[in-house]
Amino acid sequence: MDFVTGLFPWITNGPLITVQVMSGLSVGMLLFLVSVGMSLIFGVTRIVNLAHGSFYMVGAYLMVTLVEVLPAQEWAFWAALLLAPFGVAALGGIIEIGLLRLIYRRDPLMQLILTFGLILVIGTLVLLAWGPDNKSVSRPDALAGSVRILGQPFPSYYLLVLGLAPVVAVTLWLIFYRTRWGMLIRAATVDREMLGALGVNVARLYTQVFMFGSWLAGLGGALAAPTVAVALGMDGDVLTTAFVVVVIGGLGSFAGTFISALLVGLLQSFGILIFPAVSIVLLFAIMAVVLIVRPWGLLGRPEE
Amino acid sequence: MVFSRALAVLLVAAAVAPLVLPPFFLQLLTEIAIIGLFATAFNLLMGFGGMVSFGHAAYFALGAYTAALLVKKAGWPVLLALPVTPVVAAAGALLFGFFIVRLSHTYFAMLSLAFGQIVYTVIFKWKGLTGGDDGLLDVWPPAALKSPAAYYYFALGVVGLAMWALAAIVDSPFGYALKAVRENPRRARFIGINVRRHQLVAFVISGAFSGLAGGLFAFYNGSVFPDFAYFTKSFEPLVVALLGGVQSFGGPLAGAFAFKVLEWLISRQWPVYWPLFLGSVVIVVIVVLPQGFVGLLGRRGWARPGQS
Amino acid sequence: MGAAGPELATPGDLVLQTVGLRKHFGGVTAVNGVDLAVPAGDLRAIIGPNGAGKTTFFNLVTGDLAHDSGHVYLAGADVSGLPPHQLARRGLGRTFQITSIFRRLSVLENVQTALLSHHRRHYNALAAARRLYRDEAMGLLERVGLSGQAAKPSGIMSHGDQRRLEMAIALASAPRVLLLDEPTAGMAPRERLELMGLVAGIARDTGLTVVFTEHDMDVVFATAKRITVLHQGAVLAEGAPAEVRANLDVQRVYLGQPVGDEAPARGAR
Repeated sequence: MDFVTGLFPWITNGPLITVQVMSGLSVGMLLFLVSVGMSLIFGVTRIVNLAHGSFYMVGAYLMVTLVEVLPAQEWAFWAALLLAPFGVAALGGIIEIGLLRLIYRRDPLMQLILTFGLILVIGTLVLLAWGPDNKSVSRPDALAGSVRILGQPFPSYYLLVLGLAPVVAVTLWLIFYRTRWGMLIRAATVDREMLGALGVNVARLYTQVFMFGSWLAGLGGALAAPTVAVALGMDGDVLTTAFVVVVIGGLGSFAGTFISALLVGLLQSFGILIFPAVSIVLLFAIMAVVLIVRPWGLLGRPEE
Repeated sequence: MVFSRALAVLLVAAAVAPLVLPPFFLQLLTEIAIIGLFATAFNLLMGFGGMVSFGHAAYFALGAYTAALLVKKAGWPVLLALPVTPVVAAAGALLFGFFIVRLSHTYFAMLSLAFGQIVYTVIFKWKGLTGGDDGLLDVWPPAALKSPAAYYYFALGVVGLAMWALAAIVDSPFGYALKAVRENPRRARFIGINVRRHQLVAFVISGAFSGLAGGLFAFYNGSVFPDFAYFTKSFEPLVVALLGGVQSFGGPLAGAFAFKVLEWLISRQWPVYWPLFLGSVVIVVIVVLPQGFVGLLGRRGWARPGQS
Repeated sequence: MGAAGPELATPGDLVLQTVGLRKHFGGVTAVNGVDLAVPAGDLRAIIGPNGAGKTTFFNLVTGDLAHDSGHVYLAGADVSGLPPHQLARRGLGRTFQITSIFRRLSVLENVQTALLSHHRRHYNALAAARRLYRDEAMGLLERVGLSGQAAKPSGIMSHGDQRRLEMAIALASAPRVLLLDEPTAGMAPRERLELMGLVAGIARDTGLTVVFTEHDMDVVFATAKRITVLHQGAVLAEGAPAEVRANLDVQRVYLGQPVGDEAPARGAR
């Protein structure tokens, strides 16, 4: 079979595998940014934000605009990268305050349908604002080329992702486990009512968490923008993959999402080599196996 | 099945329509019938079973592509291809449903959406078989059924039979047990019902009829495209069912009528704004109505598959 | 194991038996090795102060909770760990502390559905269910005094009537043993005795075995043939009502007050 003979040189080629692994990990890191935001929002507010992929998309599109609008200097890219997520966080804030606050006590189904509706709304707004054509963002000059890893070419930009995302992950960990705010978040994922009874302004916490989750998704989109075609439909693609990550890792579990995101990134990366057309089916198969063994994800908690 | 006077009037009106209406409206009615079937099949799960699938377009698309492929690539006659569509869609529903019904309601929603996208991606990428983004064209019924009036009667007939079957299912022992599962899964277990299996069977039936709707649509449309499976298409049966009322059997059909008329009015003038309109209306209604669209699914939300 | 009573049952007659049933929640042992032997035809009350583990024990027996160790036997067969729907098929019926019925179905439909499932016709997607088992269902409703409300949506009935309906649903599955979890909770005293009188009557007529948990001592002593007292997850005493009433340990556990007519109904939740 073709793929076996195609695979053979890879199995024995250390440097190639290394580079492929690194690339898979980068993809995984971007996925992590999106997924952890969704998982965080769910953990605290118990709402699955179906529009999370849309936030990612808005982050990417904002990146496009910011890079165009800012002067054509080296620092423009970095400034855009810094600003774009905050734009998305603002959008998230508006949505949370204006809309979600009104439905927290509703049937979870209604909440899901509402966020589903948001996908359509945000998608159309993006279309109206940026038009139907694909956009792109150029990599900054410093990272435009490729480096040699063990003799193999590797896009320099991915080094940024590989370097930045773990920093973000560690920072998140520090926030969740070493700050008071993080402690409140962790407490909220366990028992919201108790938290309210203890005098914590839960409504404000929800807003903060939602904005933070949106910010993370926006960062993911902004970081990803130079590596993909910025187009309508990005929301659907990343949403599906984020769902897979979150379901495998366990909704609400930080460590689970991290491991799962890396795993899925690697699978996508290698899957494309083995089954170019249908790596997503491989993903589905893995997810199916995980769910049979552990219906709440690898590190998730039983839903009730 | 209860034959009300309203239903009789409706049937007569439907039968007479081609004599009075221009072809465009016949086509609109055909679409209404098809999406009405799709939404009714969807509602078997939602309103009667208490499970909401966010990726139901997958089964519609499986049906549509089965019809198109059989006719175009295998040269089957339309009348033979159509009955196969529910079978293939049912197989898809069995495969996905097997995993989905074991899950808590949150994962059920997410995964149904994800599985729908997986079907979309497979169709999109498997260019060799499905034509990918270009879709499959020239999928027309035989000359006898090609005119708007002829296909209208054909579709009406098929949809009518399918709705009759679905109505029978809802009022059957299976339907009673399904409603019991929706109302109170724990109590259902204690009268001996295997909740998971029951939900899976309902899922498969729903998928099958959705596939039949897809097959009908393929021949109506003359072509099939990957976005038949896209998640925004999955939104349609949901909105239609909600519009018409999920607690009654005929609700989704009424919703289909309202939906298609609205779509015609709005898409005609401002096609770009249709998804915006759809999403906004749903959001506004959910926020404004105290129980969302009526206390649909009982006090405790919907049935929790996989709960023990 | 104090099974000293007039009806000393041989293992073959035991409809329900648990051996060494145990359950921990983190550091807390909620059920600590409970041995229970219920012979056919028994009307067994399981009592104990709050926190004694009654409801947990029930949940273990009915498969709602996974046990950590021990066994459950139904008519001699080991059913430990079987899922609820299989237990139901083997003859274990149950009612719940919070009335558990099919609220948006009519009273008649509630019972019909139970009958349809009992007769294994619930996969039949062709017949019109409306006509099936009507007479049987009406019979059961009459038994519990609800035949006049057959067409009503069950969710709008009074609490007491809903409890009766739940009884009818449980009976529809023709169980060998019926487990009632606080069957009279939320009812007025007269209603309670009526309901339990109904249960006792049905049990007498059909040979049904009943096990129930209860806080109201009047009900317990009026209805039960034998009483098992749980304390801190284990069996403290067991026997005929008079023996249990006179048991000093039991009296001490209920704070030293004499268990009897003047005793305040304990544990109103």
